Amino acid sequence: MTFALQANDLGKRYGRKWALSGCTLDIPAGHVVGLVGPNGAGKTTLLHLAVGLLTPSAGSIKVLGEVPASSAEQLGRIGFVAQDTPVYENLSIATHLSMGAALNPNWDAQLAERRMHDLGLDPSQRAGRLSGGQRAQLALTLAIAKRPSLLLLDEPVASLDPLARREFLATLMEVVVEHEVSVILSSHLVADLERVCDYLVVAAAAHVQVNGEIDDLLASHHRLVGSRRDLDNLPATARVIEVSHTERQTTAIVASEDPILDPSWSVEQITLEDLVLAYMSQAEEQRRELVRAKVGAR
Amino acid sequence: MTWFAWRQLRFPALIVLGFLVVMAVFFAITGPHLWSLYDGMKTCHAHGDCQSVKNSVLNGYTKSFPIVQTLSVAFPAILGVFWGAPLIAHELETGTYRLAWTQGVTRARWVFTKLVVVGGLSMLAVGLVSWMVTWWSSPVDTLNATRLSTTVFDSAYIAPIGYAAFGFALGVAAGVLWRRTVPAMATTMVAFAAVRLPFTHFLRPRLISPVTQNVSLKQAGNFGFERGPSGLSFVFGDPAQSSSLIVSDSVVGNNGGSVTQRWLSDNCHSLLNVGQATTPKGAPTGVRPTAFNDCIDKVVASFHQVVVFQPASRFWSLQWIELAIYVVAAALLGAFSYWWVRRRIT
Repeated sequence: MTFALQANDLGKRYGRKWALSGCTLDIPAGHVVGLVGPNGAGKTTLLHLAVGLLTPSAGSIKVLGEVPASSAEQLGRIGFVAQDTPVYENLSIATHLSMGAALNPNWDAQLAERRMHDLGLDPSQRAGRLSGGQRAQLALTLAIAKRPSLLLLDEPVASLDPLARREFLATLMEVVVEHEVSVILSSHLVADLERVCDYLVVAAAAHVQVNGEIDDLLASHHRLVGSRRDLDNLPATARVIEVSHTERQTTAIVASEDPILDPSWSVEQITLEDLVLAYMSQAEEQRRELVRAKVGAR
Repeated sequence: MTWFAWRQLRFPALIVLGFLVVMAVFFAITGPHLWSLYDGMKTCHAHGDCQSVKNSVLNGYTKSFPIVQTLSVAFPAILGVFWGAPLIAHELETGTYRLAWTQGVTRARWVFTKLVVVGGLSMLAVGLVSWMVTWWSSPVDTLNATRLSTTVFDSAYIAPIGYAAFGFALGVAAGVLWRRTVPAMATTMVAFAAVRLPFTHFLRPRLISPVTQNVSLKQAGNFGFERGPSGLSFVFGDPAQSSSLIVSDSVVGNNGGSVTQRWLSDNCHSLLNVGQATTPKGAPTGVRPTAFNDCIDKVVASFHQVVVFQPASRFWSLQWIELAIYVVAAALLGAFSYWWVRRRIT
């Protein structure tokens, strides 16, 4: 089995602060992976580690079975679109494409030119004058014309308006179908990912909280609603992710491979958004407790 | 990668090319005239007008010389600031390094190619300017015999190529450390001057161990007495070796010591009794010539001049040594930037 990305206890530290720690992941190839988490969760750090812009402070990471940026060939197999889609403002679109051709062994010039044509972009236009959506499309074109086996995209749609966002994601899905490429894209919005992803990694507070195929995650997580009480009588394998109480009612998000048989709970299908939010608030609650403990110890 | 390194430099390179063209045009217009004046020196003995021919060469372009030499001295620093400092800093500052370092070229090769291509072009551009300045100014430099003076040495021949390599590598290193263009530019400017000035004034005269020569004051002649606020004192000028680089120059007693006011009052008492202004080379007005000559004789008998200098014949050795030192320094700085980008910007 080939893995798009394998991380083993991966960590990255800046000074005394860990931007990412204890990250262990085995993401099989062939998926469109959503990396979701709030700002500052370590998503960019993880992606930069995966393309070799950063090197780990702890643990190890392999991408397509190799150490990131270990060789020109390895770099050529990864297409990367960085956050805010950096391009050379003073260079024209055509020059960007020439750069791609000069620096990448498998460059598909036809593909790149056709995409610029389809998008109605004038090759002589300077990249600095493009709109945000056009810039993102140029950056995506540079990444996919490399004919990569894996595409990594860091918040590619965060700064785009809804129309550009939809077009960008549509393009991305066309590429996935056409070229059988694995994709990992990050976002802080679940809605962006829900339409395109079949695999999810939730990051929060510098840790990966949960990851897996979306269908499996939805099947193994449940939303329990019942009269107000403590959570007991759950299967031994069940983990409570989040609990909230109102005056008369208790709602819980629970991870369990085994079915919840207690009839006093009404078990509901969980949405992806609820699942992600439950893990995020769990991480946030743990963070707060940690800070309270630290402050209390002083 | 070579093509792209060049392509990114295109606009700054065009500006530099424009500067080269302006310099070339100026030299093409004025140089032949300067050389034709200089050719008059070949026949001046027959006509007996050597001094006037020489003056016509020396005085023809007195205003242009400082400008040309200043431009030539500043050019390597300018390239360090505008080509070297932004080379990597601008990519780090604007975030395009994330695009550049994720293409199918390793970061090591990317840095290496940029350093070699742009650094090489810096040396080429400065070399061309230096070559033009050398050609243009050599009639005057030859007549003045001043190739070892800082204005000529630093602005022509081969040493400027070393300054170009150094200025460029310094700019790149400042850029990778700052990761921002403007502070890197300022740092480059200051550090370049902080290395070049002390090197020129303190290190260059000692690159080869200098020659020491004892000269009898009988031959020197260029000395006398001067009356200052604190009394009469002995003064002397550099010996007539203007083509060499004087490291130090002193008048020393045959048994040590120097011509102090105390020595003067002990030995030249009659000189001290006059109240008029004096000039270095002549007898103070109002002094009897015998008293003056008497004192001169005493000084000549007891003292001699010690000159430490680099002879003019060492010009090329000094140029090569200085070029080599700056090129080695540039290579070390380049290696540092290469290492820093690979190992520290992670």
